[in-house]
Amino acid sequence: MARKSKFTSKSSAAEQAKAETILTRRTMFLGVGGLAMFGVLGARLYDLQVRNAENYISLSEDNRFNYNILLPSRGRILDRNSEPLAINEPNYRVVLIPERSHDVENVLKHVGQVIDLNSKDLKRIHQDIRHNPRFVPIAIQDNIDWKTFAALNMRMHDLPGIIPEVAEGRAYPYGGIFAHTLGYIGRAGDKDIAEDKDPLLRQPTFRIGKTGVEAAVEKRLRGASGKLKVEVNAMGRIVREWPNPKDAAIPGQDVYLTLDAKLQKFAADQFEDDSGGISVMDCMTGELRTLLSMPSFDGNLFVNGLTQADMDRMNNDPKRPQFNKVIGGGYPPASTFKMTVMLAALESGLVNPNKSVFCVGKMRLGNRTFHCWKRQGHGAMDMRNGLKHSCDSYFYEISQIIGIDRIANMARRLGLGQNHDIGISGEKSGIVPDEAWKQARLGSGWRTGDTLNASIGQGFVLATPLQLSVMAARLANAKLALKPSLIIGDGIPSFDNLDIDPTHLAFVRDAMHAVCEEPGGTAYRYDSLKLGGVEMAGKTGTGQVRGISTSERATGVRKHGAVPWELRDHSIFVGFGPYENPRFAVATIVEHGGSGAGRAADITRQVLSEALRIDGMGPQPQKEAVAL
Amino acid sequence: MSGLLPLDSSGMSLRAKLYELNWLLPVLIFVIGAIGVTMIFAATDGVWNQGAAQHAIRIGVAGVVMLIIALTDIKVWYTLSYPAYFGALILLIGVELMGVSVNGSQRWLDLGLMRVQPSEIMKLAIVMAMARYYHDLARWRVSHITGLTGALLLIAVPMALILHQPDLGTTLLLGATGVVIVFLAGVSWRIIGFASVLMAVGLPLFFQFGLKDYQRDRIWTFLDPSRDPTGASYHITQSKIALGSGGIAGKGFMHGTQRQGDYVPENRTDFVFTVIGEEFGLIGSLLTIALYIAVISLCIYLAMKCKSTFSKLLTLGLMTTFTLYIFINLGMVMGLLPVVGVPLPLISYGGTVVMAVMAGFGLILSAHLHRNSDLPRSRI
Repeated sequence: MARKSKFTSKSSAAEQAKAETILTRRTMFLGVGGLAMFGVLGARLYDLQVRNAENYISLSEDNRFNYNILLPSRGRILDRNSEPLAINEPNYRVVLIPERSHDVENVLKHVGQVIDLNSKDLKRIHQDIRHNPRFVPIAIQDNIDWKTFAALNMRMHDLPGIIPEVAEGRAYPYGGIFAHTLGYIGRAGDKDIAEDKDPLLRQPTFRIGKTGVEAAVEKRLRGASGKLKVEVNAMGRIVREWPNPKDAAIPGQDVYLTLDAKLQKFAADQFEDDSGGISVMDCMTGELRTLLSMPSFDGNLFVNGLTQADMDRMNNDPKRPQFNKVIGGGYPPASTFKMTVMLAALESGLVNPNKSVFCVGKMRLGNRTFHCWKRQGHGAMDMRNGLKHSCDSYFYEISQIIGIDRIANMARRLGLGQNHDIGISGEKSGIVPDEAWKQARLGSGWRTGDTLNASIGQGFVLATPLQLSVMAARLANAKLALKPSLIIGDGIPSFDNLDIDPTHLAFVRDAMHAVCEEPGGTAYRYDSLKLGGVEMAGKTGTGQVRGISTSERATGVRKHGAVPWELRDHSIFVGFGPYENPRFAVATIVEHGGSGAGRAADITRQVLSEALRIDGMGPQPQKEAVAL
Repeated sequence: MSGLLPLDSSGMSLRAKLYELNWLLPVLIFVIGAIGVTMIFAATDGVWNQGAAQHAIRIGVAGVVMLIIALTDIKVWYTLSYPAYFGALILLIGVELMGVSVNGSQRWLDLGLMRVQPSEIMKLAIVMAMARYYHDLARWRVSHITGLTGALLLIAVPMALILHQPDLGTTLLLGATGVVIVFLAGVSWRIIGFASVLMAVGLPLFFQFGLKDYQRDRIWTFLDPSRDPTGASYHITQSKIALGSGGIAGKGFMHGTQRQGDYVPENRTDFVFTVIGEEFGLIGSLLTIALYIAVISLCIYLAMKCKSTFSKLLTLGLMTTFTLYIFINLGMVMGLLPVVGVPLPLISYGGTVVMAVMAGFGLILSAHLHRNSDLPRSRI
């Protein structure tokens, strides 16, 4: 090998030297090029880590931190004695934050293996995902049981974006009996969102009041959202929470109602399976102690969305459980309207209270016959007896003398025919007809027969149990035009003066007292309130659902039980007690409950008695002896 | 006098060799390796046995291999140049025929005892073969068609095989290293100019027909990151956030939030530099780069000390591969280059690369240790 190189040594050496020069030069060339490349990398690092550091720091914070909206705890609804009527209970549920799950479909598929998701659920979930920003938690399912909740927690690592959480759900400890008044909560609809810009409404897991008190005082119950800074990893899993007391959600305020849960429960028990409503009002303050519509529905069912079966059952029930009859049901007040006629007559000065009318059981007007409820007639009646025995003939007679407009005027002053705005929706104003009303409404002139019908609270007259309780309370109070109140709010309401002659009112009250406490009165019972001689006053009413045919009248087949339920008379009673020093006014309607002296009077007596007992009257349950 | 090692003709004793060895290079290498161990430790949330310990052991074992290679006479490596190249070529063909597929790419050869990645061996072998080729090549042939064809064949055959695996990163690395050696060997500027024009025309064609879909995708994504916000560009974006949010001083060791949140995938391997940048900031990043520059400069210095063309080109070629690793990796991590799977040498977790790089430094050290050796030239 050495020989070979020797052979070409001379030229080789020169070539070698030249090659080495080139090599050195080119190495330097590359070295400089390499340094330039490192310069570029250094410049890039400077650009990233110095010039744009702020930007990247905030991006890394964004990466790292998310803000979870904290839903405020909804205010409770309590009765006057702080008895909870609507509360929040822990609700195990599972939500999905689409942003944190890379493959939503796949995650939903896996969740579906643990939780039963039907196509309706999936449709809603997809809709929620589409309609919300990707960081908003979407409810997958509410109220899952503990076992499922635990199973999900076990599988969390396969399910990015899925968060099992313990939230608060609304619960109504009394079930149905407050359902109409309290209403229910639900997801904010498009309309709610359009009207109320609170971002909480956009949270698919958030619930707002839809009806009743829940809706009426939504703003007070709602509170304000908070936020929680959370640190998440690339998978979207929360690795740490950074709570800041300043960012906590502000819980909604508790709202107190004037109602008394104990009395409401008692009243509901009295109704048993009957349909109707009862309103109990404080005769001094107008506060409603009971506002009940029966039958009711379980408000808890609405919290998680009603099933179709529940919905169908409610809609097909002839007793219409979802209908708030006590404030929304317009019923003919029937004979309970007679106090109005009496007062109008006394005020007009056209009728002397001693005026006597001889009742023969019917009365002719032109070619029509108007019947008294007592076929054989009452005989001679003065005004007091007319009410005591509820003689229709007497009121036919005096109403013709004073005319409908005086009656209507008095009815309105007693609180009928108007909306009292107790704060919740669904209140109806009823009808107090007069000449103008009929002209406007039916386009026909008022006829005397209409006055006769109205005088016994039939025909066009419609009133709600709430209005009838207001009427009873005003009669009892005698001084103030009381208005009912339901939600305890700011200050004590002030009332207008009733402006009805007190002697007239005393006369009417005395007659109402006779109805209940004198033998022969339509609602007479010995020791009516069972409170050791505490007396009450009241008036029965039997509301006709349809006209009575002549043949029925002749054969007398209108006995209770002989006609189908939905054609039976409404049983109505209004009253107050104690008679001497009134505390509570009550109005009760039992739909198709027959005579007012029956079901409605019974329930009224029981409830009034219980209300007074709760208020401290009569024998009290003995307190347990304290051992000394 | 022929030394303690077999086949040694240098006439140096082992003791003399150990004394003569350039110890600065191993020291720098071990310092960089230690950075790697630390950063892998951080990347795995402070767990030793998820890579950090293994990396330390590998650096140690590879260090021993490096020293053995370094102490072996350069003539041995000179003699083995072509056999190594053809051996690697056979292994590459073996991969083609019966390789093990990992992540859809057939790069590994299961030899029963261990898996080897022949492309890593080829990275060394091609430098050896080309150094040998130009060592032997007559000066006039360097820019002549005959000399060019030989060099081109040496480069193109392994490139084609590796591209077919497919492993675009290694292919380009191999090609670039080869081209640098051709350049250093003194090919005329005329040919360089001609090749550049050819490249400019050929690159688009290669892009269109030579690449797999996912490779094309990666390049498109690199050019327009908004195309794919959660896929490959997510990687680059998160990598940039990690580096950028480190600022000048960094968030502190074990305090990187991008790292803790696992925002940067592969931050134990190819994206390990993001951990350095995030936790030690610009200062840590530049110090790391400075260490690399020190290694590279030292290699150039060592190359200049060598007498033979083989040793010079061997040293410079290996240094080029090492440098390209760094450029490509850092360029990728900083979002200057598309995502190609190239590790950061000595720092990224991964056994074969550590072994290949350290073996390369063994060759460099051997070339320097035996810098005065007269290597025969068989004229071609």
